[in-house]
Parts: sequence; structure tokens; C-alpha cells
Amino acid sequence: MTQPPSMSAAGSGLRLTLRGIGHAYRALTVLQDIDLTVAPGEVLALVGPSGCGKSTLLGIMGGLIAPAAGTVEASGSVADDCLNPVTYVFQDFALLPWRSVRDNVALPLEPHLSRAARAARVDEVLALTSLTAFADAWPRELSGGMRQRVGIARALAVRPACLLMDEPLSALDAQTRTLLLEEFAGLIARAGITTVYVTHTLSEAVRIGHQVAVLSRRPGRVRALLRIDRPIEGRRAADPDLLAMEERIWAMIRDDAATAERERIDAPD
Amino acid sequence: MRRIDGPVAFRGGGFAPRARGWAAAATLIGLVLLWQALEMAGLVPTLFLPAPLAIGRTLWALTLSGELWKHLSASLLRLAIGWTVGTVFGIAVGLAVGLWSALRSPVMAVVAALFPIPKIALVPLFIIWFGIGEGSKIATLGFGVFFPTVIATAGGVDAVPRGLIRMGQSFGLSTWKIVRSIVLPGALPAILTGFRVTTSIAIVLLVAAEMIGAERGIGAFVLAAGNLYDMDALLAGIVVLSALGLIVAWVIGVAERVLLRWR
Amino acid sequence: MRSRDGANEMTRGPTLSRRLVLGGALLVPRLVRAAEPVRLGLLRTLSPAPFYLAQERGYFRDEGLEVAFRFFEAAQPIAAAAVSGDIDIGVTALTGGFFNLAEKGVLKVIGGGLHEERGYEGSAILVSNKAFDAGLTSLDKLPGHSFAITQYGSSFHYMLGRIAQAKDFALSRVTLRPVQQISNMLAAVSSGQVDATIAIASQAKPAAAAGQAHIIAWAGDVVPYQITALFAATRFIAENAEQLHRFAQAYKRGVADYRAAFLRRDPQGRPVVDALTLAAVTDISHYVFTGDPQAKEKILAGVGYYDEGGALDVADVIDQLRWFRAQGLVKGDSDPASMIDTRFLPTR
Repeated sequence: MTQPPSMSAAGSGLRLTLRGIGHAYRALTVLQDIDLTVAPGEVLALVGPSGCGKSTLLGIMGGLIAPAAGTVEASGSVADDCLNPVTYVFQDFALLPWRSVRDNVALPLEPHLSRAARAARVDEVLALTSLTAFADAWPRELSGGMRQRVGIARALAVRPACLLMDEPLSALDAQTRTLLLEEFAGLIARAGITTVYVTHTLSEAVRIGHQVAVLSRRPGRVRALLRIDRPIEGRRAADPDLLAMEERIWAMIRDDAATAERERIDAPD
Repeated sequence: MRRIDGPVAFRGGGFAPRARGWAAAATLIGLVLLWQALEMAGLVPTLFLPAPLAIGRTLWALTLSGELWKHLSASLLRLAIGWTVGTVFGIAVGLAVGLWSALRSPVMAVVAALFPIPKIALVPLFIIWFGIGEGSKIATLGFGVFFPTVIATAGGVDAVPRGLIRMGQSFGLSTWKIVRSIVLPGALPAILTGFRVTTSIAIVLLVAAEMIGAERGIGAFVLAAGNLYDMDALLAGIVVLSALGLIVAWVIGVAERVLLRWR
Repeated sequence: MRSRDGANEMTRGPTLSRRLVLGGALLVPRLVRAAEPVRLGLLRTLSPAPFYLAQERGYFRDEGLEVAFRFFEAAQPIAAAAVSGDIDIGVTALTGGFFNLAEKGVLKVIGGGLHEERGYEGSAILVSNKAFDAGLTSLDKLPGHSFAITQYGSSFHYMLGRIAQAKDFALSRVTLRPVQQISNMLAAVSSGQVDATIAIASQAKPAAAAGQAHIIAWAGDVVPYQITALFAATRFIAENAEQLHRFAQAYKRGVADYRAAFLRRDPQGRPVVDALTLAAVTDISHYVFTGDPQAKEKILAGVGYYDEGGALDVADVIDQLRWFRAQGLVKGDSDPASMIDTRFLPTR
């Protein structure tokens, strides 16, 4: 994959600071006293049992959900061509079915760029995500993996300083997941974008995160914060250190996950 | 215990009806031929039901004399204006209802209260409000089209996945941009389905709209023929209304194929 | 009460088959009609007043007939009801719809009814205030104006057509506004939506007195003609000629009473109002203006002319048919004589 010059400004990303975040749906407390910091260019993987409020926390970081308590701060300098500093990648891709791949990617650019500038940028990110051949396809014609590539391309098109990825691979099959994870990890690392990556899958978390935040079951709190001091691009799935790390996390959340599975009350996650 | 030995019998299939265009056309043509045959055999007195050939001759004579076009053009103009007015206001109100909770319940209450009123009953009121000329006729059509359009549009907006709207918000798109690029196209299938209903309603209401004070128009023509017990002309007018309905349905079908080709 | 004769047996075959054909639509296959009343279709207006008198005064009963009134909202459906067998006899204006059905041989005119007659205020040409102020003060100025009628082929359409002939202008120069109902015609002119219309005296005079419209002429002064007529289904005439004769006798007595009550004039030419008149008003008010404190005034203002003996003006019927044919409103070329049966009532 080619490396776009404008995305190489590692270190110019945003610092994300969460202080005392708490949230509740009516009487149900889903998040409590969350303090987290994501350094510029760093990837934070967020794991936890089902229903612990991971996606809610991501929504709060992205300004899509108003927290009941606490603040989220984003600070740092962003590039001049950044159109949407904090950008979301959705679990269900959130593509507009009536727009072609090209037009889906162009959507967030439309209020900001001329037609020509849009086309140039769209072509660039489509090339980056190996989608050039599918530029004129409808979303329904694409596999799940290809659709999430479009989701990533759309997110990258706005030159984000921070990516919030909400279980981006969980709707995909295992093989596609492995392939895409490597690809996305590379893209993020090379672009140096501050990233929060919510996932169910512990192997994904240890593969992509500089930090892994483990949330407890509801009400979700930060149960542990682990650092993985190893460049993301060099990591191998079979790396024994990573497998050990995965084991450790699993040991931590196993009981919570089991309880959550039995007690689960349907609440927006 | 019992033994099973032998091939597994096929038991799927069925429950997948497919449209057959030729069968639709053949049925209609067959019915007309049967009708003509019954008339020619003298089994149906022409006083009560004229034969298709007689209707065809009447239509042809109306076409040649320019009468048909005189009536049809007046009706088409009313349909176009009345339907467009009802549709534009209907979509606007439907969008507003679908987007803002402040409007939702109040407007839907009004719509629910007014939708079932037979618009034909409102014609005298419309005449006082809009005059006996074109105003009351267009108002009748517009009102008839407005309410179903509001309901179809509001339903279509409700059916737009919230995730897509959140996606728009996550990219910092303006409310107007979200409405234009996400809500409206997302509601378009429901709106187009609504068009099928509202165009039919408009054609049905044409007769009511042209009941009062219309010198020209297919509805007025049909009414006059009915009043005069001119059965050939009555059925000729009905055939024209029916053909109008078929053509409009076909146009909407084409529009759906073009606008919704992403499906 | 109804007797059957030989002709009845002969005609039963075709009647039955037609009923079977129609049966699906009507769902009333009346195959047995013993002791049924004679059903008369009419409008609930003053125009059939002699029938109200005949009914109230037992003239039908005297003839051994039971007559049931079936009231309709408009003239043309009465003709259709006679064809479908829902009524036996009708009395109303001869409309385009009537003649189209008569052309097919299923209806016949058997007697005369109300006339527009010189000197009798039957139907008024009513003009809106707006149009009157703008100069529509006489019939010859009608071209270029709008004119409300109930329906194409109605008696109002016909009257306007005859006015156009009398005043020598083309009917096409008047914009016709069919508004379906008589009440709509009046409302359209009172509100100024339409320039002119025709209204019967009992409606036109109050409207003019209230300043809602202007009366510019009386139809009877311009185009005297026989506005309503008595007709019956051809089938009924064939099956029940004798019964129809008795019906006609009772009708003639009703007409005689009506003429005595309303059409007598004093030496100065003014209508005579005496005990006979008031008795007739009382009987008629059982059918129209019932319970209206102004019933007497309205009835006196609205009664029109009836010929002696309910005579049928044959030439006028033929004139009407010719006009409807010339307008393209009636299609057919049947002999007009085949639409008229003069065995029951006198002719003029």
C-alpha cells in the first residue's frame, strides 16, 4: 500500500482526555468514573464484556452521546486539510445504499470541497484502501469486508486526527477480519492517527492497541489499563507475548463476561 | 422403531410467485374478447352494457372530433397542478413530522382526523374558499393527495436507519445536509410507493373535482354521460380514466427503476 | 289489487330474462307483483302538486289503486329507476337522460305536467348582484357570462338553449357550469361564483327580495313550454294498461282541483285565493314546506301552470327531443311517435 504524504505527520494527532465520565440510561448506570488518556498517534483498544458500555463510551468521545457526568477533551494541532478532527467508523458500516462507493466516500467532503478537489481526494483514499476498481459499485454489490473498507476510506477522506472505531470488524467473518485488521493497523500506524478501537475480540485488541483498557461489567469502569510496548506494524498474531497478554485479559473479564451473559438486560450498548 | 430407506423427497419450492407480464395483458385482452362475444351472442342487452366495439367506436369518434383531447387536456392540467401542490406540501409536512417531535403528534392528529373525510364532501366548502373555477378543483385534488403523502413521507423518514443519520452527524454535516443527502433519499422508496397511491387517488377524485362547475374534463365528461344515460360515452370515459391510471402507474414504475436502481 | 291480463302472460318471458340479467346488479328479482302498489317517482317539489292532491283526497283509492310515492333528488335518475323497474310511473322534466333511454324503446311519455306559461311565474332567470351591476340586465346580454345548471341535458340546460334560440345567440357563447344540485345553482349565484341561473319562483322571489340576486326575466314569458311530463316504463304500459287508465283518471281529478285552487283569475287578472285555494295549500303542505310557517306564501308564490286534464303537448315533446338531438346530447333516430302513448290522457 502506498503511503500518502499528507498522512505521514505522525505525532501531530490529537490527545484525547476523559475525566470522570459517567452515564446512565434511566435508572441503569452503564458507565462510572472513567478516566482515560490517549496520547497523540496512539491506539487505545477498549475491551470488556457485553453490555459494559464500550460503545456508549465511544459515542461520548465522538460527541454523539451527551455524558451524564465528566468531560472529554481533545487537544493538539490538526492539519489544515483536516475536515473532521474526530471521525467515526461504524460497526454496521453506515453506508448510504443509494450512493456508489465513490459518492459514499465523497459525502463528508461535499460541504467543504469543490467537485474537482473532492474527486482527487476520493481517488486517493480509494487507492489507499484498494477500492479503485469498485468506485462505481453499489454497496449492496460488495462483501462485508469491502463495505468496511469503504467505511475506512470515507473516514480517512476527511483527514481525521482521531479515529473512533466501533467494533469495525465484528460483522465480518474470521478470515476477512484477520486480513482487514492487518491492513487497518498499518494504515492507522503509518498515518499516526490517534485511535480508539472498541472490540469484543481480545486478539484484535492486543494486535492493534498501544494500550488496552479493560472495562468491568455494568456499571462499566476501567478495570485495568495495559500497555503493549511494541510497534503495531511488527506484531504477529502468533507472538507468544501477545497470546499471554490475551490470556491475562481473558482471565480478568471471564467471570464478568459469564455473569453479563446470564444477566444481560437489553440496554443500548 | 421404523426403518427409513430411500431418496429424500423434494419438499421445498412454491411460495415464490413471479410476475408474468404476458399473463396480465392476456387476461385483460381475453376479458374484453369474452365481453364482446357475449354481446354479439345477444346474452347481454346493449342498453345495460355496451359492447367493447361500440365503446371503441365512440372513443375513436371523440378522438377525431377533438372532444377527447379537449376534456383530457383540461383534466391532465388539473391533475398535474393538483397532484404537484398536494405532493410538495405533503412531502414538506411529512418531513417535518418525521424530524421534529414538536410537530409530530399535533400534525399527525390533524392528519388522522382529516384524512378519512371524503374529499367529495368538502367540494362545496372548497367552492366557497377557492371559487367555482379551477381553484376548487385543484384544491380537491391537492387535499386528496396531501394526506396520504404526509403519511407515506413520515413513514419513510421513520424507516431511515438512525445509524445513517448518526453517521451524518459524526461527520459534522449540517441538519439541512443530513435531510437532503440522507433522510430524503432514504425516505424516497416510501415516498414513491405513496405516489402510486396518490396518483390513483387523484384520478379517482378527478370525477368529484369536476362535478361542480366544470365545462371540460374527463371527470365532467363521465358525469355528463352518466346523467344522460349515454352508456357508450360513459364507458369510453371510464376506459380513458383507466388508461390514464395504467400510464401513470407505468411512469412511476419507470421512475422507481431509475431512482431506486441501487436496490 | 293489481289484475293480470293475457298480455301479461305473453310478456313474462322477456321480462324474466331481463330481470335475470339485471338481477346481479339490483338484487331484487321481483318476480311476483301481486297486490303491489303502483310506484310513482317524483321530486319533492311543488311541480307534481296535482299528484299530492289526488293522493290526499283519495282519488287513487277511488280508482281502486294504491299509489306509493318514491321521492328522488334529481330528475334524470327517475327515468333510470323506471327502466330498472324500481318505479312504475314517473313525473318530472323530460331530460336528455330520459330521451336517451326512450330512444331504446323502454320509456314512453303518457301525459302532460307543469308548463312554463306566459303570465305564470314558474321559473325565473336569476342574475348575481355582481353580474347585474356589471350590466347583465336582460337575456340578450347572457353571452360571455357563466350560467349554472344542474347537469348537461337537464331541463335548465334545455330552457337556456330555448332562451338562446329566442334571443338569437349561440348557446356556446354562454359558459355552462354544471353544479349537480338545484341548491348549488342558487348558492352559486347568491355568492357571485356564477353570473346567472334558473330558479323556480318559490326560491327566486325570496332571493331577489333579500337582495341576494336579481330576477331579469320569467322563462314562461320567453319560452313557454311543457316542463314536466308523466311517463311510464314500456313494460309497465304493456302489462298494466288498464291500471294506468285508472291512474290517469285520478290524476285528471287532481289537475282539476289544482286548476280550481290556483289558476283562477279575477277580472283584474290577479290569482283568486279562497277556501278552495287554502284547502289545497293544506293538502300540498303535507308534502312540501311541511312545518314551515311560511308554507302558504311559498306555495302560492310557487304554483305553476297545468293544462286542463293533464293534457300532453305532443308537439312540444317532439321539439324537446329535436333540440336534445341537435345538441348531440341524445343519440338515436327512433320515431318520436314511438316514445309517446296518447291512450291515457288528452293531448293539446
